[in-house]
Amino acid sequence: MSDWISRSLPFPHFVLTPARLCTLLALVCLALSGLSLATQLPVAQWAQALFAPDEGNIDQLLTHYSWLPRWTIALLAGGALGIAGVLMQQVLRNPLAAPTTLGVATGAQLALLLATLFAPGLLVLGREWVALVGGGLAMGLVFALAWRRGLAPMVVVLAGLVVNLYLGAVSTTLILFHQEELRGLMVWGAGSLSQNSWDGVLYLLPRLAIALVLAGLMLRPLAILELDDVNARSLGVSLKHLRLMSLGLAVFITACVVSVIGIIGFIGLAAPAIVRLLGARTLPQRLLWAPILGALLLTTTDQLLQRFSGALPTMIPTGATTAALGAPLLLWLIPRLKLGGDRPHAAPMLTAPRRRHPGRLLMALGLALTVALAASLLLGQNSEGWAWPSWAIWQATHEWRLPRTLAAAGAGTLLALAGTLIQRVTGNPMASPEVVGISGGTAIGLIGVVMLVPGVGLPMLLIAGTLSALATLGVLLLINRRSGFQPERVLLTGIAITALFDPLRSIVLANGDPRTQQLLAWMSGSTYYVDTVLAVAVAASAVILTLAMQCLSRWLDLLPMGNSSARALGVNVDRARLALLGVVALLTAAATLVVGPLSFVGLLAPHMARLLGAARARAHLLAAALLGALLMVLADWLGRQWLFPQEIPAGLMSSLLGGAYFMWTLRRL
Amino acid sequence: MTPLSMRGDTLRFHLLALALLVLLAGPHTASAADTPRIATVDWTIAETLLALGVTPVGVAQTDAYREWVGAPPLPDDVVDIGLRAQPNRELLAQLAPDRILLSPMFSTLSPSLERIAPTDTVALYTPGSDLWTRLKSATREIGAIANRKAEADTLLAWLDVHLALLRQTLASREIGDRPLLVVQFVDDRHVRVFGENSLYNAVMQRLGLENAWQDNTNYWGFSTVGLETLAKLDDARLVVIEPLPVGVEERLESSALWQHLPSVRRDDVLTLPPVWSFGGAPSAARFADHLSQTLIDAAATPPTHETPDE
Repeated sequence: MSDWISRSLPFPHFVLTPARLCTLLALVCLALSGLSLATQLPVAQWAQALFAPDEGNIDQLLTHYSWLPRWTIALLAGGALGIAGVLMQQVLRNPLAAPTTLGVATGAQLALLLATLFAPGLLVLGREWVALVGGGLAMGLVFALAWRRGLAPMVVVLAGLVVNLYLGAVSTTLILFHQEELRGLMVWGAGSLSQNSWDGVLYLLPRLAIALVLAGLMLRPLAILELDDVNARSLGVSLKHLRLMSLGLAVFITACVVSVIGIIGFIGLAAPAIVRLLGARTLPQRLLWAPILGALLLTTTDQLLQRFSGALPTMIPTGATTAALGAPLLLWLIPRLKLGGDRPHAAPMLTAPRRRHPGRLLMALGLALTVALAASLLLGQNSEGWAWPSWAIWQATHEWRLPRTLAAAGAGTLLALAGTLIQRVTGNPMASPEVVGISGGTAIGLIGVVMLVPGVGLPMLLIAGTLSALATLGVLLLINRRSGFQPERVLLTGIAITALFDPLRSIVLANGDPRTQQLLAWMSGSTYYVDTVLAVAVAASAVILTLAMQCLSRWLDLLPMGNSSARALGVNVDRARLALLGVVALLTAAATLVVGPLSFVGLLAPHMARLLGAARARAHLLAAALLGALLMVLADWLGRQWLFPQEIPAGLMSSLLGGAYFMWTLRRL
Repeated sequence: MTPLSMRGDTLRFHLLALALLVLLAGPHTASAADTPRIATVDWTIAETLLALGVTPVGVAQTDAYREWVGAPPLPDDVVDIGLRAQPNRELLAQLAPDRILLSPMFSTLSPSLERIAPTDTVALYTPGSDLWTRLKSATREIGAIANRKAEADTLLAWLDVHLALLRQTLASREIGDRPLLVVQFVDDRHVRVFGENSLYNAVMQRLGLENAWQDNTNYWGFSTVGLETLAKLDDARLVVIEPLPVGVEERLESSALWQHLPSVRRDDVLTLPPVWSFGGAPSAARFADHLSQTLIDAAATPPTHETPDE
């Protein structure tokens, strides 16, 4: 597998192995660290600063209490995340599994937010314990959701992603309403490595040592997991318990790291994936090289950051940076990854009863949508409480409620359609417009404009958003052209692009710029900023596209059968995929401009439609579109009324409502 | 020691009297009839209005205002109009204010709010020109809109005199030999340090106090940095603005780096009560009062222990 990497490098005879890459990186890291330390302190004083710093010498003190602990903790944390990533990827047999994708990090963050706001006393006892409990509970929830399916890898990842989104939505809601109190957690959330004593290192070291010993003990049974379920079971391994134990260990490691230095993106995903690509195929090999690579990656990034960010007024946390640097690397790797994408999916798809006559279902959904629209337009509160329809209300309806309701319905429909397309094209129930990265790409452009141009108007934002959506689509197509748009690759590319958006958001939030509130509101999917023209345009395009989409239903029925079957039935698979992806991109970009990148509806509506029995593409599309609109309208209305006069953005509300429903159905799956 | 502390008390009394004078002067000179009903999403505008003797009909996030800005106090009958970035338009329409005031940060709202009432944007924290000049023009602008031109001029004149007086007092006692480093804790490892273009910096300039933070800052005049950055500023005396986030005080006790910061080792760290960091004239006056009073008190009671090498 390492051959192609070597071939694509300038030196064709040099074969890159994990050991060589780590040596190379170690040299770079040592050189950078040495330089940095030398500018901080004369070489002659290094030993003294390490063991017994001179109390009167501030440079020695800084080295002893800040530089060295930071360097050490970067190594420790990077290594720990590498181990956690290997364990998770091994257990879930999924190259995309990582500490941050299973809800642990967001769970820990939410626990800390809640403690800060409602039980500050707990924080005095120890932030790490609060984070540990939160991360553990989140993972417990993921386990509980996937339990009935014997913790099958696919279901665990799906549950993890959903829990992640759900807890993330709760956190964002809290941040929106308590921006000033929670600013410290923003810095933590972005993963700042800065240290001011050895406490963090002393906390992490023994825990990691224990975890490493346990991982070593589980080496042999874990290797069996590489077989499929039936074979492994026939060897007498209790799959449930093995998965539970190894995932639990990975979570423990992650929670320790997260509680000390916050969320460090990407390392846990990248280190194991890279060493595997470079030829570390057996589990012991990966368990050896992934932590080393993780440690070196994090430390090198941190050193580079300290070297070059000193002059900026903006603090750039390391965790956010690893994610930002990692994304391009991932984008480079994707066309080169060997994924078994061409065979029909053996992974369990969502199975649900199929209705012979979906007409009645569609009627019922249409009726529900009408009722929701009426309620959203006519029912509301004013300063005296709930108000019945009256002339004043009619004015408010016309002036303020109509654009928002229309926009919500339109955006919900667009996202639902995009979700349906992408889930059918990739045959992957995990897929949603968000995962394809268009939302993230659009968001990057919009944040950039808002931060660089003060007081920018809506037309400018629209242009910027559209351009970045198209740019994202371009990157997506460019990278996937060679592989013929294989579903998994497209998803991977999307995740990598989304990974670029996250660090940017973290950096913005960590710096506590007062403008963040507006950005936060938009990022959480508020319909507040929509005007009538935009709303009508979105709603109209939603209706037209829903009808136009019916022409695509043949492709959508055939593509999930797998490439060869579809080709045999006369579909030009590559061209069909390309066309469908283009449509998905446009749908997502349009919706993102209106309600922000949070598109839980795109995941949820197609799912619900499927669970309600809409199996054929035509019915699936229509039912999903209606459900998307219904969900978004309800979310928008509830969000406006619940905490009146303060508003919870529609995107957040739909995540809160939809996420709960989704988890419930997942449990029964 | 007695004469010093007595002088401190006299100063405090003096300040109180002046503040009362201005606050009382407001309502007497303009009648309620020609006062427009104003709603604002911006706390700085809200505090300036209150200082000019005008009670806004609606302010965004009133609870958070009471917690983070505090003074001048917001009367209970002021309606909460929702989040700062998303004031509730249905509620605003029902309140039917005569004017709506925004800061440039929320200027994207103005086309839609314009449909409820004439909407003006008052710029204070925008880069490019001197903050103090903008603070004065912003206060006058708000005064003109609220029909309180004379009061705005009085407030600004008083602020100038007040700061000059404080400056004299500080100079006469030879306080302020060390540059000050004004910080607000974000968590136990990070602080916001205030420099160029911040309210604190502008006030310190008027008090003749040197700001130790000469590095870059953002639009709002602060920079978020790790604690280790502060260690390099040997001479600087730390001024910590409250409130401290939960648990930070305890964690600083065990933070070796904090304990070894030059200012902490000299035991000359000053702690000030909360003042809105992005405020206008009233916050400036409050910060000036707190800072000079704390400096004077600290000079009256020298640090309990001196480090051997000082």
